[in-house]
Amino acid sequence: MNRDAMELLQGTLDVLILRTLAWQPMHGYAVSRWIRERTEGTIEIEDAPLYKALHRLERAGCVSAEWGVSENNRRARYYRLTATGRRRLREEESAWRRYAAAVFRVLEPA
Amino acid sequence: MPPESAIVQRTLEMLVLKALSLAPMHGWGIGQRIDQLSKGAFQVPQGSLYPALVRMRRRGWIKSEWRVTENNRRARYYLLTPAGRKQLGIETDAWEKASEAVNAFLRTRTLEDTP
Amino acid sequence: MSFFTDAMVRVRAMFLRETEERELDDEVRFHLERDAEERVRRGVAPEDARREAALALGGMESQKEQVRDARGTRPLEELASDIRYALRGLRRNPGFTLTGILVLGVGIGATSTVYSIVHSVVLADLPYPEPERLVRVVEKNSPTNIWALSTADVVSIRERQRVFAEWGESTRREVALSGTGTPSRIVVSPASSGYFRAIGIAVAKGRAIQPSDETAEAPAVAVVTDAFARRVLGSADAALGRVLTLDGVSHTVVGVLPPGRDELGGVRSEVWPALKLQPIVRRGPFWLRGLGRLKPGVSLETATADLARVSAEILPMWPDFRDSTAKLTPVPLREVIVGRSVKQVGLFAGGVALVLLLAIVNVATLVLVRASAREQELAVRLMLGAKRGRVARLLVTENLILTLTAAMLGLGLAFVGLDLAVAQLQSMPRIQDAALDWRVIALGIGAAVVSGILVSLSPIAALQGNTNLASHATGRRTDTSNRTSRMRAAFVVAEFALAWPLLVASGLLLSSFVRLQRVDPGFDPRGLVSIGVNLPSIRYPNDTTVFQFRARALQRLAAIPGVVSVGLADDVPPDPNHGNFDNFNLVHKPVPDGQAEPAVPWYYVDPTYFETLGIRIVDGRGYRSGNTADTLPMVIVSESWAKQFTPGESPVGRQLVQGGCYDCPRTTIIGVVEDIRNLGPALPMVAAYGSLVNNGTRSVEILARARAVTPSLLQTMRNELRALDPELPLVETVIADKVDASMADPMRWAAVLTAFAACGMGLAALGVFGLMAYTVRQRRRELGVRLALGAAPSSVTRLVVSRGMKYALIGSGIGLVMTLLFVNRIQTMLFGVSPIDPATFLAVAFMLAGSAFLASWIPGRRAARIRPMEAIGAD
Repeated sequence: MNRDAMELLQGTLDVLILRTLAWQPMHGYAVSRWIRERTEGTIEIEDAPLYKALHRLERAGCVSAEWGVSENNRRARYYRLTATGRRRLREEESAWRRYAAAVFRVLEPA
Repeated sequence: MPPESAIVQRTLEMLVLKALSLAPMHGWGIGQRIDQLSKGAFQVPQGSLYPALVRMRRRGWIKSEWRVTENNRRARYYLLTPAGRKQLGIETDAWEKASEAVNAFLRTRTLEDTP
Repeated sequence: MSFFTDAMVRVRAMFLRETEERELDDEVRFHLERDAEERVRRGVAPEDARREAALALGGMESQKEQVRDARGTRPLEELASDIRYALRGLRRNPGFTLTGILVLGVGIGATSTVYSIVHSVVLADLPYPEPERLVRVVEKNSPTNIWALSTADVVSIRERQRVFAEWGESTRREVALSGTGTPSRIVVSPASSGYFRAIGIAVAKGRAIQPSDETAEAPAVAVVTDAFARRVLGSADAALGRVLTLDGVSHTVVGVLPPGRDELGGVRSEVWPALKLQPIVRRGPFWLRGLGRLKPGVSLETATADLARVSAEILPMWPDFRDSTAKLTPVPLREVIVGRSVKQVGLFAGGVALVLLLAIVNVATLVLVRASAREQELAVRLMLGAKRGRVARLLVTENLILTLTAAMLGLGLAFVGLDLAVAQLQSMPRIQDAALDWRVIALGIGAAVVSGILVSLSPIAALQGNTNLASHATGRRTDTSNRTSRMRAAFVVAEFALAWPLLVASGLLLSSFVRLQRVDPGFDPRGLVSIGVNLPSIRYPNDTTVFQFRARALQRLAAIPGVVSVGLADDVPPDPNHGNFDNFNLVHKPVPDGQAEPAVPWYYVDPTYFETLGIRIVDGRGYRSGNTADTLPMVIVSESWAKQFTPGESPVGRQLVQGGCYDCPRTTIIGVVEDIRNLGPALPMVAAYGSLVNNGTRSVEILARARAVTPSLLQTMRNELRALDPELPLVETVIADKVDASMADPMRWAAVLTAFAACGMGLAALGVFGLMAYTVRQRRRELGVRLALGAAPSSVTRLVVSRGMKYALIGSGIGLVMTLLFVNRIQTMLFGVSPIDPATFLAVAFMLAGSAFLASWIPGRRAARIRPMEAIGAD
């Protein structure tokens, strides 16, 4: 189930990540945990695509990263949303709504 | 979503299945139909369509046969198989659950959220 | 269902490429036309419409390319890129690559060599038509007394048997060959026509022996081997019609065997004269080998029963032969030829299999370590979208390249090694056939493929599950490194388990060999030389001439300065092949009815033999020379003989019936002589010595003891004998060399097994070392914390060492059980040491424990020297 969800929603990774970081800065592991918990396990993001997306967003200036100390006293890379990122989040959210609506339109006529 | 209104692979396949569930159609026609059904939101990138059709044939969800169109030209038509019909149902369910989860995720607001 | 359709589409794409391409063209063209039409309808100019449609489609070719991709015939291209990537990786890690290739290459090379030997010696069919129907018939009166057949036996078999389609006989003799260059001594095998028919091999030139050649009046003929024809007579063609003089009798060559046939029915010989049977006077003597080809469908049991019937029928025909337990018994020829080798070869094969397993485990460890070191690199690959199956395929490809290269090295080593091995093991039957044929190459490649897959399993398993980059970056122990540690530990345990049987076997063989070496031959071989002569009956037609030659020879040799004493015998020790055994029955203590008479090696010696050999008469007297020579049959027995057959009393004066001849005068025991190792270091010293004084045998060994054996002395001796008879072939033997040679085989077995065992121990120790070093690296932080918290450095060392020893101990436990289960099988190869010799087992335990200790201690010491702050603060 999880796998299917991710495949269907492949393009939505960015919006999920940006939304997560909108709450607070986190390191990568925390992001995937957050998403998993908030969707009650429906959406499980694998490390590979997650980090790929994070680096992409960093290159695009939507997030910034710095080293910090994690909850168990380890060094970790923390990501935080930038102003650009906030703008991008709003764009992605509306894009998602349009997209989902369009898919529903196609699926609806029985 | 990179890039705008692009349909990702699995979603595209789901839409193709839906399109074919209405009636058999050739490749170009499928793109048109999806365009119509989505009220212009999805212009199927031709680059993805034909490879997707081959993949779906391999999985046994659709099959193809050559027919003559109304203009007396030969074209390859695709039809939904029983397995494909079943898959459509599965994917539709999955899509509903997944998109609901995303919506729920995006809807929750906290203090830092600026409209 | 989807698998089926998937296959259909792919197969169609592969085999009907042209059709598929054409259809794709059509489909795409239709699309473009339709799209263009639509654009024109919307108002675009026709040329533009066409162009736009093409652009929208994204280029016809790239479309087609994508479809081709989706068809699923890409694997070959992916394979090519995998190979390129793998080669790069292997080149960049020469240490790993070279070690892996070397270790596995040696393992495969040794295995291939041993397998080709096993195949040719044990597994391969005998090279005759329907070889399973060939049997050798022997006369057996107890499980250990196996005799050859007599003329009476074979004639009876010929007349009475019902189970053989073909039947023949052969024997073996050493004769003087003259008439073709320098006189020499060769071994010939007189055989009957039936022998050739039973074997079923046709001659290449001329004809085989016919029944007409076997009559007394027929001219003497012989068949020769191709090698003999080439060496002695010039060529195979030139051989026909040539005359060979064997012991003075002229034989005409009538046939030449096909090239490569140096052995027929288990008898290796270059010249095969026609066998002429002497008229039968009594049941014995027993000098023939019988060979039969069973009729189709006749089983061995049926043949055994039939021959038992024949034995019973002919027993009453010879009343002076009283041994009713003597039965003519068929033995499958395969058993005769292969039988003895199986045990030795089996040990060899078992040992090398263990070495190969050890090599594989070792390479698996290397691969595992490398994979976990590449965890990050592989994780990046996965991150960039590679599927897990793809990564696994990449690993397997890389490992297969490694193992196949190792196989090439191994087969190359085997090529050289096989020559060496065959040269060392000349004594084994059929070893000459061992070759690096397709079977061996297939085995080598098969081993490479299997080990390639096997060693890939562990890293694939280790990399299962989420490769969590985050935790890797923070230095936390990842799931992968945990799994890796556990697997490495399992490997170490396996290596120790495998090393145990190797070490124990080698230890036992070494012990045996050392004990064999220490066996006193019973006499001092230094300075002893013997020259063997075979007086041809043409020039020495009667006993008088024979005795004359002997006397003169002894006289001349004794006169040579430096020669201390001389003597004569029919055979000199050590000779494990001494063929002359005789049975006897003590008159005062006869063997009960129905029980077989005992048989012992029987030698014939002259009065000065014992003195020359340097052994004393301990009871009774020796033989006397001169004209007062004793004429009644006499025998001198060895000490062991006396202990076994007349315990508690002196055998001197007792009489016995010799050779089952109840009509002959009884033989009197006149003396007891010190024991010597007549048959070699491992065999019993029971022996009987008859007198040469009345025995005009033409084949004798002249034994001489000199102060020192030098080439000039040998030359002088030869000259003296040549002076007596220039045409006499002489065979010299330096006794000390013969004694050494009798140790050769056990020494080789011990050496080979020890080499295997050393490899085994080395690999096991390496395994422990590697594992402990890895563990120390992985747990640097934890150990650093311990040290920072005030733990003594020695406690850290102790921790590491005890860890390593624990694995060694578990492995040894398993290995010990394995060894105990199988060690009994090598009992027959041991001498003087039991298979569960405690000293050997203890020694092995100590050696392995010691190596495990050392291998753990080195990383342990390094661990103790970790600087705590550095370790904790890392990253």
